[in-house]
Amino acid sequence: MGSSWQTKMAAPLVKTVRGWSDLALGVRSTVLRLPGLIQVRWSRYGPEYRDPQVDKEYYRKPLAELTEEQKFERELRKTQLIKAAPAMKTSSVFEDPLISKFTNMMMKGGNKVLARSLMTKTLEAVKRKQFEKYHAASSEEQATIERNPYTIFHQALKNCEPVIGLVPILKGGHFYQVPVPLSDRRRRFLAMKWMITECREKKHRRMLMPEKLSRELLEAFHNQGPVIKRKHDMHKMAEANRALAHYRWW
Amino acid sequence: MAAPCVSCCALLSYRLFFRGKVNLAPRQVLWKAAAAELPTVSGSQISRLRHTTVLTTKKNVAALRRETYTVDFIKKQIDEFNIGKRHLANMMGEDPETFTQEDIDRAIAYLFPSGLFEKRARPIMKHPEQIFPKQKAIQWGEDGRPFHFLFYTGKQSYYSLMHDAYGKLLNLEKHKNELQAKGLFSEEAKTKDLIGSRWLIKEELEEMLVEKLSDQDYEQFIRLLERLLTLQCGAAEEEFLQSFRRSVTIQSKKQLIEPVRYDKQGMAFSTSEGKRKSAKAEAVVYEHGSGRIKVNGIDYLLYFPVTQDREQLMFPFHFLDRLGKHDVTCTVSGGGRSAQAGAIRLAVARALCSFVTEEEVEWMRQAGLLTADPRIRERKKPGQEGARRKFTWKKR
Repeated sequence: MGSSWQTKMAAPLVKTVRGWSDLALGVRSTVLRLPGLIQVRWSRYGPEYRDPQVDKEYYRKPLAELTEEQKFERELRKTQLIKAAPAMKTSSVFEDPLISKFTNMMMKGGNKVLARSLMTKTLEAVKRKQFEKYHAASSEEQATIERNPYTIFHQALKNCEPVIGLVPILKGGHFYQVPVPLSDRRRRFLAMKWMITECREKKHRRMLMPEKLSRELLEAFHNQGPVIKRKHDMHKMAEANRALAHYRWW
Repeated sequence: MAAPCVSCCALLSYRLFFRGKVNLAPRQVLWKAAAAELPTVSGSQISRLRHTTVLTTKKNVAALRRETYTVDFIKKQIDEFNIGKRHLANMMGEDPETFTQEDIDRAIAYLFPSGLFEKRARPIMKHPEQIFPKQKAIQWGEDGRPFHFLFYTGKQSYYSLMHDAYGKLLNLEKHKNELQAKGLFSEEAKTKDLIGSRWLIKEELEEMLVEKLSDQDYEQFIRLLERLLTLQCGAAEEEFLQSFRRSVTIQSKKQLIEPVRYDKQGMAFSTSEGKRKSAKAEAVVYEHGSGRIKVNGIDYLLYFPVTQDREQLMFPFHFLDRLGKHDVTCTVSGGGRSAQAGAIRLAVARALCSFVTEEEVEWMRQAGLLTADPRIRERKKPGQEGARRKFTWKKR
């Protein structure tokens, strides 16, 4: 009952034509609003709206440095409608898209304040631990110790990314785990997801999230720890199921 | 069977009527109707009348077959429209010679005020060309043979257009080959204004050809035109291509820039409003200052304890490299913490437009600072627990 209501709800909304308002070059946008298909997920922006470009340096570049394509793109953007910048995005230099994504994934129940404070405490904890190690180490080792928490975070998550994944495919009434190449986005997502799940479940009851997460990040940075082990398990399973690789049709 | 006389059934004659299909009253009488003709784009010049005898039943016959209007009928409508326009101008006390369509609309809205919500149900008076749909003339002669050689494709105007365009393409390529053989061909860089215009969309093409097209037909046509663009064209081909282009507005021109005002001490300032969800904000940005922001009389550091909100306030200034150079006083009400911050951000960005160059205004627009965020809370639907969450599924 619910689903039919939703599709009926969608139909009159689709008919509110946003107008033949200035479409840019290209035919693709007309295909999105075919009258035969009823869209169930819709957004308040029309299909002609483009994502905003928040980076300051993009605009400050002098015209002489741009290629023909970039100049054309610049001119084209002047005719396009742009969406509003979301509340999390600023032009600040301190903003990192990966950190923002990770914070959102850590967030529970819409409590962004808490998630963000946990994230900053984690980075602080990582930095403190690294500085302690730095001061305790000899001068040759000091050169090898990385103290920037952002590089540690990025490198740790990159180390956790699996190369190949498993997908359950239904064939002959049974589900087989078939090895499948993963896209970049999926890999990043899996790395972050495993990290968060690991930190939530496998910790001592009284230990706080920043403490546990900083520990896991440092271990992953050195290619050790439970998240890396999970990645290797995934690779081994994929290797074991190699024979099923031909079940993939895409 | 051509017959000279036209006998139309009693159609309502109107100078002024309600938009929509013309409803013929159902009759139980045998009546002769004449098929309608109008000249088409692809030029079957001669329009013929064709008599059909239709037996009406209790059903609404008009709904069963498409409405067809004769040329004489349309001509009569146009004459009546013009006369009616002059009468209306006299009624309103204006000059009949210079009475435009906007004047007509205003006059009708004045004389026939309507409270109907559906705009299409309100009284209108427009030129008959806009009211009666364009129709095709009869495409075959007395002997039944069609005039156009592509008649049996079903979409003769479209295919003849494709045929012409491809013919032009082949001619251009032949010309290019000849020049290359002689060694006279030179690659010139094309500097055409492709940005300020767009190809016409499928609906516009359908309107032009008076034929229904499919998406694939339209895409194929656009691809052909793009190919023509890449070649060097003469003046005739340029004109041909331009007839399929429509202009596109430059979005930044639509941005309203507030004028700068001066207060009692002679300080320059600018005021603007901003909205986000249900929060409304009004910001006063002073041109010279030291980066102080006061929200509802409270310092912004105390009003917004969360870093994210303060980052949002800082965003427009940081983007324009004017961080410590302006003072802001704003009032905000409604919404939540994040919505208020977003509303103030929009108000501040709009106010800053008055102190900044046009280019920077365009940059702000492209960064999404000048667009009001249209997202609102999605309503809860019946049969579901929330906007998207469904009730727990129970097997029995």
